[in-house]
Amino acid sequence: MRPMTPRGFRDVLFAEAREREIVAGAVSEVFASWGYDPVDTPVVEEDSTLARGAGGELERAAFRFFDLDGSLLALRPEMTVPIARVAASRLADGPGPHRIRYVAPVFREHASLRGQARQFTQVGVEFIGASGPAADAEIVLMLLGALAATGLSSYLVGIGTGEVLRAVLDRAEGPADWQDAVIAAAQGRNLVELDVLADRAGLDPEFALALREVPRLGGGAEALERCRELAAACGCEHSLDGLSATWRLLDALGETDRVRIDFGIMRSFAYYTGMQLEAYAPGLGLPLAGGGRYDRLLGAFGAPAPAAGFALGLERVMIALAEEGRTPHLEPLDAVLGGHDAAAVLAAAARLRAAGWRVRVAPGVAGIALVREADEAAAAEALLAEAGTVVRVDRAGEVAVPLGDPLPVPPRRTWAGRGEAR
Amino acid sequence: MIARRGGTDRGSDRALAGRPLRVALPKGSLYADSVALFAAAGCDVTGLADPGRQLTVRAGDIEYIIGKPTDIPIYVAYGAVDAAIAGKDVLLESALDVVELVDLGFGACRFVVAEPEDAERPVAGIYRHLGVIRVATKYPRITEAHYAERGLQVEIVKLSGNIELAPLIGLADQVVDITATGRTLSENRLRIVDEVLASTARFVANPVSLKTDALRVTGLASALAAAAAR
Repeated sequence: MRPMTPRGFRDVLFAEAREREIVAGAVSEVFASWGYDPVDTPVVEEDSTLARGAGGELERAAFRFFDLDGSLLALRPEMTVPIARVAASRLADGPGPHRIRYVAPVFREHASLRGQARQFTQVGVEFIGASGPAADAEIVLMLLGALAATGLSSYLVGIGTGEVLRAVLDRAEGPADWQDAVIAAAQGRNLVELDVLADRAGLDPEFALALREVPRLGGGAEALERCRELAAACGCEHSLDGLSATWRLLDALGETDRVRIDFGIMRSFAYYTGMQLEAYAPGLGLPLAGGGRYDRLLGAFGAPAPAAGFALGLERVMIALAEEGRTPHLEPLDAVLGGHDAAAVLAAAARLRAAGWRVRVAPGVAGIALVREADEAAAAEALLAEAGTVVRVDRAGEVAVPLGDPLPVPPRRTWAGRGEAR
Repeated sequence: MIARRGGTDRGSDRALAGRPLRVALPKGSLYADSVALFAAAGCDVTGLADPGRQLTVRAGDIEYIIGKPTDIPIYVAYGAVDAAIAGKDVLLESALDVVELVDLGFGACRFVVAEPEDAERPVAGIYRHLGVIRVATKYPRITEAHYAERGLQVEIVKLSGNIELAPLIGLADQVVDITATGRTLSENRLRIVDEVLASTARFVANPVSLKTDALRVTGLASALAAAAAR
């Protein structure tokens, strides 16, 4: 029997791995340009950390296991809780705010036969120790910058807030289980159930109207205005102040073309408060990115601080790029370098690498075999190391012209993308 | 998992805007009412009344996909279609992430618990002595949730059809099944002993289609809601 990867896990090879590296690198570069520093955390967390931080759907999705000491551990199902744990422990005494970025595999358990991956890669940021419209705008702008850097041409960022619905519920004075049901219906995007719950006897009509209409509201400034009217009728228009101010900032910067207000965004992760955001590519049935503000999460770890962030799902971004035919261009290998003397081959390869070449060595290979090996590697050149010099080999495997001294620039710099240049 | 609809889109906004809205309709008992509702909502339904073996029908601005009812939540959740009509029963059983936009009112049926009318050994007795009831159903998730709420221990047997047969051949003590009139159950000498939940057809959408194609999806939802209310 041939060995296989476990269900929902897979190997990433060569071209795909390089394409992922390029996209993750381009996004990380955007985060770095905003002054965010990288952090690595263990793939394993104490289960109790996860339970205190994430709760809800995320906690249920975690892979768990016991170690030899009998501690219950979990593979991280996302990165916000691990980063919050770091911030609340190792960074708690340092001056904030902290700007953190990461590229990290995360793990989620899924039932079989649903075609779901159990490991995927998140590329994201967490901005800890700052709140207010400017901090929220920083998060939205970085998501826009990251999406542009991936090379995608059509995408959309949705921003919303769960605060309005919560404020309306607070003032509606319904029983706790009814309030929970309303939040669950909004998070589960069950608008039919929301209408049923809004029909509760004794609920004032302005509250019923807000419960029905707010989760359906989306668009630009007019959606904000309508939401303000609905909230004002319930005496809680201030629940919208933060999002309105963030929108005005983005608008003043001319950055609202690809941003849509959407009060239907109620991410089911228990830790979100305030602004929440998602990114979409048309025709792709799941969000490319998600995140938001989680001002109470660090408090659960004993070091209260406001915080916000988001993560892009690298696999989803790669699918969206492939759908658009915009998968990043891979630079070809510059040369395969053969020759009869291994020492001469390795020495010549060192000189070529120093000149910026990407070279695969093939000691002991020459002639037509060398040409074939260069073809298989899709290399731009087949070269031969010979008596202290490097010479080109032509299609017939014959020695052609010397490469010259100093060595020329690597072919991929001049003939980028034309594999048949040789 | 994400459906790769690919092909013609190629990323330009114009191409995306020109894409037809893809809507799935369930074969079987909900189909005729679904087509009638789309017609009443002013949609072009040419070719839908008798699609023969065709599984996709393009009519006007909509590309209709005709699918097996239990597969429709999968089409929607993974983004292979933008919107669909699906029974609440199927939606609950699938437990997938879709936006439930409109209760269309038709296709009403009830989930019930039924057992043999003339059981030699009453189910209560079985439970007292064996501590567990065997239940046959096509809907294991809904069934599990129902008995858990009642605090009863059950062994669930998932079958693909003819659920009413299970007690007659000794495979199960009770069944959980959907019924519109109760006739199939009574013809097989089963009596309804408990109500699980009521179901109707719903108009549902993919969460992302609702954001990226908001006007068309919500427009269709309103038109269908208005037609259903008439």
